Amino acid sequence: MTILAALPDPLVLLLLSLLISVFGGIVSLLLRSSDDAAIRVAGLTGAASAVFGLCASLPSLSAPARVFEAAGPYPFAHFVLRLDPLASLMIAVISLLSLVSWIYSLAYVREYAGRGVGAMGFFMNLFIASMVLVVAADNAFWFLIFFEMMSLTSYFLVIFDQDDEAVSAGFLYFLVAHAGSVLIMAAFFIMANYAGSYDFADFRTSTLPAPMNSVVFLLGFLGFGAKAGMIPLHIWLPRAHPAAPSHASALMSGVMIKIGIFGIIKIGIDLLGGSGGILWWGVLVLTFGAVSSVLGVVYALAEHDIKKLLAYHSVENIGIILLGVGVGMIGIAVGQPTLAVLGLMAGLYHLVNHAVFKGLLFLGAGSVIFRMHTKDMEKMGGLARSMPWTALSFLIGALAISAIPPLNGFVSEWYTYQALFAAALDGTWMVKFATPIAAMLLALTGALAVMCFVKAYGVMFAGPARHHHVDDVREVPLPMVAGMAILAIACVALGLAAPLVAPVISAIASATIGSASIVVADGALLIPANAHQATLSTPLLMILLVGMAALPVILKSFLGGGRRPISRRALEPWAAGYLPDSHMAATAGGFSQPIRMFFRPLYDVRTNIAGGWDRVTIAFERFVSFARRTEPCWDRAIVDPVTQHVGTVGRRLQAIQGGDFRIYCLYIVAALVVLLTLTVR
Amino acid sequence: MPDFNHLLLALFQALLLLAAAPLVSGMSRVVRAKMHTRHGPGPLQDYRDLVKLMQRQDVQPPSAGAVFRLMPVIMMATMLVVAMGTPILTRFSPISACGDMITTIYLFALARFFFALSGIDSGSSFAGIGGSRELTMGVLVEPVMLLSLFMAALLAGSTDLGSIGAAIASGHVHSLTAVVVAGLAFAFAVYIELGKLPYDMAEAEQELQEGPLTEYSGPSLALLKWSMSLKQTVVVAWFVGVFLPFGSSLELSLSGVALGLLAFAVKVIVIFLAVGIVENSVARARFRLTPQHSWLGVGIASLAFVFYLVGL
Repeated sequence: MTILAALPDPLVLLLLSLLISVFGGIVSLLLRSSDDAAIRVAGLTGAASAVFGLCASLPSLSAPARVFEAAGPYPFAHFVLRLDPLASLMIAVISLLSLVSWIYSLAYVREYAGRGVGAMGFFMNLFIASMVLVVAADNAFWFLIFFEMMSLTSYFLVIFDQDDEAVSAGFLYFLVAHAGSVLIMAAFFIMANYAGSYDFADFRTSTLPAPMNSVVFLLGFLGFGAKAGMIPLHIWLPRAHPAAPSHASALMSGVMIKIGIFGIIKIGIDLLGGSGGILWWGVLVLTFGAVSSVLGVVYALAEHDIKKLLAYHSVENIGIILLGVGVGMIGIAVGQPTLAVLGLMAGLYHLVNHAVFKGLLFLGAGSVIFRMHTKDMEKMGGLARSMPWTALSFLIGALAISAIPPLNGFVSEWYTYQALFAAALDGTWMVKFATPIAAMLLALTGALAVMCFVKAYGVMFAGPARHHHVDDVREVPLPMVAGMAILAIACVALGLAAPLVAPVISAIASATIGSASIVVADGALLIPANAHQATLSTPLLMILLVGMAALPVILKSFLGGGRRPISRRALEPWAAGYLPDSHMAATAGGFSQPIRMFFRPLYDVRTNIAGGWDRVTIAFERFVSFARRTEPCWDRAIVDPVTQHVGTVGRRLQAIQGGDFRIYCLYIVAALVVLLTLTVR
Repeated sequence: MPDFNHLLLALFQALLLLAAAPLVSGMSRVVRAKMHTRHGPGPLQDYRDLVKLMQRQDVQPPSAGAVFRLMPVIMMATMLVVAMGTPILTRFSPISACGDMITTIYLFALARFFFALSGIDSGSSFAGIGGSRELTMGVLVEPVMLLSLFMAALLAGSTDLGSIGAAIASGHVHSLTAVVVAGLAFAFAVYIELGKLPYDMAEAEQELQEGPLTEYSGPSLALLKWSMSLKQTVVVAWFVGVFLPFGSSLELSLSGVALGLLAFAVKVIVIFLAVGIVENSVARARFRLTPQHSWLGVGIASLAFVFYLVGL
């Protein structure tokens, strides 16, 4: 930390990081004729920019907010960047994920050689820069500009494959992203109307009267919720994220949808803080969170496409984050700052964790697709033997996302449970009713997530191979393994070092809310503000698990004596006397079949929602075709007759210029005679 | 953090349950034999089985990987850690840093994760289906467990298993009805978690050739069988520690722990006798219909929730 403190002002580093990003993007675009150079330039400048981003954000996590103001071209909107603890946390997450993605891209993007990798590097660099600018912007106008830039650059990454699926997924994404920004715009304009300027600083101090603040909150919640992909506004997410290249999917699913959460926190806690929280806002967020978490994982279970499965899990985890944020907002509304900080801290911790393990899982999926050239899990199987490092990283990610102790996903879900518990303990009747149900749904989500990732890892990496090119498949190149390894280590570290991480995140939460800090760790113990309520120690848990694992090993060698023959491999698994076949082993479809049977009503809901969206799309297409049909009317009525008559007149006029020299002389004589008669008279 | 004496008690608890687990499963066999009116093996038969299996050769299916080999070790280690965090002989949890109700539920999920994954890894179709069923049962049971424990925890003001047990034993809870109903719901969930008839889904012997156990043999099978009976003992100890903590020691003294051990032994024997009677007098439930049974659990737990809200 002392080295970091000696570095120049974080804002200078941040601007430097942005400049490198933009520069790298442009150079990558200029070098588009040489794929190798473009990949390297984009990757290295991107990584350098991410390192600067980390250097800028890490020391600012627990520092007071710094503000940078510059003259912009617009007199009504000041260009203000604000590096407060929450923004620093987001920038740290963006930088970590983009650093890893860039390292990964050095080998992965070769898959796309000859298909415009220079443009890919350009859009990736601008995408990352615009995300950083969105979280740092402190002016509504510039926030919207960068928000649009982020949507646009990611749109180009989604349609990169240029096939039908990618283009139609991109169109849906474009539609939802813009519907969302319209709502956000409306919310900001109402606030600007009351604050008298577009600066967030003025938004914070102004107070909105009673019905207006709820309107602003709802507009912002739905607008940012569409970006976050919460149900029922998630429809674009499971189609757009799988279509993008895997390192871009990692960034979109790991980071971009978190901007939606950031926006909800920004509008509900930061900007509307002056107007005071209202209880039902928090309960609304909690409800959407609970529904998103359960439905997201239920839909994920039915998927065979690994990237779609991961995308649906993003919907689930957004739900879990919203549970924490919802408790935080409830805490603010009922005037319990401890509860508010605990809830928001649980949400932010899960935000960081989800970025790390979802990034890891998307990169793992990318590695498998890199070798197998298919996203269908049914066509994989047994990859752990040929791709051991990918398998190990994916397993760590799968354990983390399933909230298995002592990894990071468990720590943040534990805090979420504790926040829900603390809210239920002394809340109003509505809170007492809502929070235990939310906790029960979170338990259901956890159990379903375990099932989903046992299926994902098992069908891809374990068991017999269900494909024919067993010998061709080998481990992915070093940069890709390195990218996954960094995130796998981060998953373990964020879990085991939770007693060090939790106080930092709790300080960010209390700075965002503007209340006193709470105790979330004591030595190696994790405490949800109140040591009597519960304690947890992930390092101790890890030590005990490893220590206790020695016992069965000892028992085995002690009771086995020296007489036991060495183990051997059977030729085939036992199949009740039939000839075993690799297709008899568990498949993705068969494994999740009980859940698809037991939860059929929930799948029917999805069909209905999808039907609704289809109707919107159909209506839009009808509008387009209507426009296409009505547009020629103008031509027929006005333009066509004019052009027709001009043509006719032209053709008639051709008769007088026959090309005969004598006739032209006659024209001249005739003209002279006419002029003479006109002037002489 | 726990001091040395607490750590010693935790270790003692883990070893005690590990040593007693084959006896508990042996006792279940005796009860079954009695109910079939036949001369079964004695209660010590499972110890003999384990020792014999330990000396046999380990045979692995061709496609099995590291997960398949490591699972029995992970399973046993996890169950031992759960045993260390549960209040069994004393009213308080020996290591409260891993004796939280949420930690315990998720530690069971850790065991479940690898148990089911090993089923896929073995490449056997029976094991794969068994793994799928194990996780499905988890999906159906975990919400009931959480909601019923959550109610008890809310009444006690803490999610620490020891504190919940202490509050219930001392009667310092606002709503006694809610505690009793929550205890019933939790008992139902625990019964399903035991994996006994009629909910013998994942390791169904006649139907799935013991599910994920199909491909295990020799010492691995021994460890796994041992872990399964350990899990049953731990699950019952979990229920006893939270909802029936009567008789356990209030402080960490040798005589108190000895009395606690006696009380615990009596409670476990009574519970397993009752479980044995239920198990041998019902037929297997149809797997397709299990959600209807688990809805009953959700219903009872919700009833506890209603009682808690009303404050009866």
